[in-house]
Amino acid sequence: MFSALFYLQYHSVKNRTVSRLKRLKQPKYLAGAIVGGLYFSYYFVRPFMMPGQGVQALPVARLPGDPEWVELIAATALAVITLAAWVLPNRRTVLAFTEAEVAFLFPAPISRRGLIHYKLVRSQAAILFTVLLLTLITHRWGGRAWIQMAGWWLMLSTLNLHLLGASFARTMLLDRGISNWQRRVGVLGAVGLVLVAAVWWVRQALPPLTAPDFADLERVKSYVSSVANSTPAIVLLFPFRLVVGPYLAGDALGFLRALPGAMGVLLAHYAWVVKSNVAFEEASAEASRKLAEKVAAIRSGNWQAAGGKAKAGRSPFHLSPAGPAPTAFFWKNLISANRGITFRTWVIIAAVVLGVAVGMGNIGGGRTLPVVAGAIAAMLAVWSVLLGTQIVRQDFRQDLDYLDVLKLFPVAPWQVAFGQLLAPAVILTGVQWLLLAVAAVLVPQTPNFPWRWPAVLSAALSLAMVLPALNFISLVIPNAAVLLFPAWLQAGKEGPQGIETTGQRLIAFLGQFLAFLVALIPAALAFGAVFFLARLAAVWWVATPLAALAATAVLAIEAAFGIYWLGWLFQRFDISSELNP
Amino acid sequence: MIQVQGLTKLYGEFRAVDDVSFTVQPGEVLGLVGPNGAGKTTSLRCLAGIIPPSGGVLRICGHDLVKDPVSAKRHLAFFPDEPRLFDYLTVWQHLTFVARIYQVVGYEPLAEQLLEELELGGRKNALPGELSRGMKQKLAIACGLLHSPKVIYFDEPLTGLDPIGIRRMKDSILQRARGGAAIVISSHLLHLVEEICSHILILQNGRKVADGTLEEIRRKFSEEQADANLEEVFFRATASPPPLPADVAKPGRGG
Repeated sequence: MFSALFYLQYHSVKNRTVSRLKRLKQPKYLAGAIVGGLYFSYYFVRPFMMPGQGVQALPVARLPGDPEWVELIAATALAVITLAAWVLPNRRTVLAFTEAEVAFLFPAPISRRGLIHYKLVRSQAAILFTVLLLTLITHRWGGRAWIQMAGWWLMLSTLNLHLLGASFARTMLLDRGISNWQRRVGVLGAVGLVLVAAVWWVRQALPPLTAPDFADLERVKSYVSSVANSTPAIVLLFPFRLVVGPYLAGDALGFLRALPGAMGVLLAHYAWVVKSNVAFEEASAEASRKLAEKVAAIRSGNWQAAGGKAKAGRSPFHLSPAGPAPTAFFWKNLISANRGITFRTWVIIAAVVLGVAVGMGNIGGGRTLPVVAGAIAAMLAVWSVLLGTQIVRQDFRQDLDYLDVLKLFPVAPWQVAFGQLLAPAVILTGVQWLLLAVAAVLVPQTPNFPWRWPAVLSAALSLAMVLPALNFISLVIPNAAVLLFPAWLQAGKEGPQGIETTGQRLIAFLGQFLAFLVALIPAALAFGAVFFLARLAAVWWVATPLAALAATAVLAIEAAFGIYWLGWLFQRFDISSELNP
Repeated sequence: MIQVQGLTKLYGEFRAVDDVSFTVQPGEVLGLVGPNGAGKTTSLRCLAGIIPPSGGVLRICGHDLVKDPVSAKRHLAFFPDEPRLFDYLTVWQHLTFVARIYQVVGYEPLAEQLLEELELGGRKNALPGELSRGMKQKLAIACGLLHSPKVIYFDEPLTGLDPIGIRRMKDSILQRARGGAAIVISSHLLHLVEEICSHILILQNGRKVADGTLEEIRRKFSEEQADANLEEVFFRATASPPPLPADVAKPGRGG
């Protein structure tokens, strides 16, 4: 029996690898693989092979030096995850099988234990990949690679077994008539009692912190350290410290010392899971169906449908049957973007954010908080111009799977394109204007800030003018890329993954960025020319909005051409030829 | 109502549809039949304006589908074998959206009526994900019929329907035809085609093998068997290599 399961696993991995290698014959995958490989090797493998080379971690990102604290934090985090596994989930045991596995393995003469073993072996592939990735990331902060790898494997494998065991236990409780809420109350009650007893014990043993103590960070740290080393905390965190021990061992000897304890916990979990006899098949079959739907949704670019149970979104405004067609697409995409959030909600959020910003600004006097908040708002505004289109995707990218439906409509192609871009453009512009307003209120609080209010207003107004057209242009580029090279951005139902896909995305992003820069050149020239002329007769903060107006006009013309071109691409887009290359 | 002259669709060197011509008049139901890969779905998708034809003239209610697609599309509805609905719009939001796209002023009573007829009245606020396959198909039908199309295409209309749904779908198609719509149905279910279609068009390897009323087709391929059913006719028609387009153009109705 196990040989058949091994055969399935072995050939699945082998065939998947071979098909990925064969795919490299296509230039787009080969180019993607080269770029993706270079990216991974530069960021992860190079520092691993040649310490001191490649991108260095920021000093603030380094792990705290005190191993005692690291162990305490890691063990506590593990304890919280473990507790969550007993409190949060409300479903029966779900072993994630694919639909094919359900169809072939469930009716086959394989014991439940055999299926569990099969899943445990399969889960090891994902765990090993995660271990590799985590080691590549965490090794940049130093330490021995093999110790980190083994440590990560022990932690992740134990956690995986614990989550499975907890799900078996939850299912058993449900089978015995104990509801999810009864279980939660029971678990939290028991944990609460233990914590109350521990707190009581600590208060008896250690003098409590007084109000002035809280002002002294060292005193607080020392107190927490004493609590962590008290008997209740040592007992409660003991199994979790055992699990994280090997990862945190500084050398081979320390690792070997920590290994038996961690292995003991791992084997105990294995015995617990394998000896559980819980009927998981029905829930797993249902979960596999939902997983298949989710995967299909992700592969078709519909991330929202994949994000769990969809919620009906309220109409953002009343859509009357008469009027311009682009409004219908705008309305449709706003529903998609703002599930449950209406226009009124957005106005309230904006008012609250601006109110808080004005309040912070009134604190004034060069205080750090308003200045930092203002700088963050300004950075986010700039960032949203460059990367916002990657987040707000309620356009052709979202509807690539529905293009044949959109093509049925009696609407001119440019109107479809304009309508499809309206929602993300309006959302991005709204967010950017809000960030700009916050930055304009707060940044001038910086000590010795050189600009007076008219200058600040002039700069903010100029940027606000330029942003809508800029957003349309930056949206035209990725949408045109989708219609020109759908296989690059959404490669049909095959859904390729891996380094080559990462490389493809990098190439696509760089291409979009370059196209964006090229589109900015005429607008920059117009800005420069008008600014130069206006400066002859006016101060710079009067000349700037005039120049921005000229730049906006150029950008608007570019955006209009872009939208018309996008419509043309949409009209001639033939998904069937993409599927029959 | 539907006039097709020399419809051709190429994928590179491959001719998915090769010089197909036919017409469908108001009230007629044309059954598009043929083996897998014959070009039925490709033809329908070209006729619906979803994919651009490589050649030929397609006229819908007098409007050239290639030169004036917006006017042509105002009169047609296409129902694919799998209902295509927006995951994030509710049942009623689908109808509101479609009403705006087709400018159906005062659509609310008609939409309510359609939903009641299709037994979706109680699911107005449901998302497609909360509907069964049959209900999704009903919603797609409600959306397609809201603007009272004069030309309707069905691609495998009975897929996934229960016996009651099948009966209702057949009645609905015939009712629309009686109301003056020109209908094209692509299907492998020859008994369905035989039951509700007034005309048949047989495709093979992208080419038209035969075109005419069921009686005309039967006469052509029955080999003196007056009571031959469509299945027997179909096998005889598609068993041999298709005749050249010039040969089939003579007995055809429209081409």
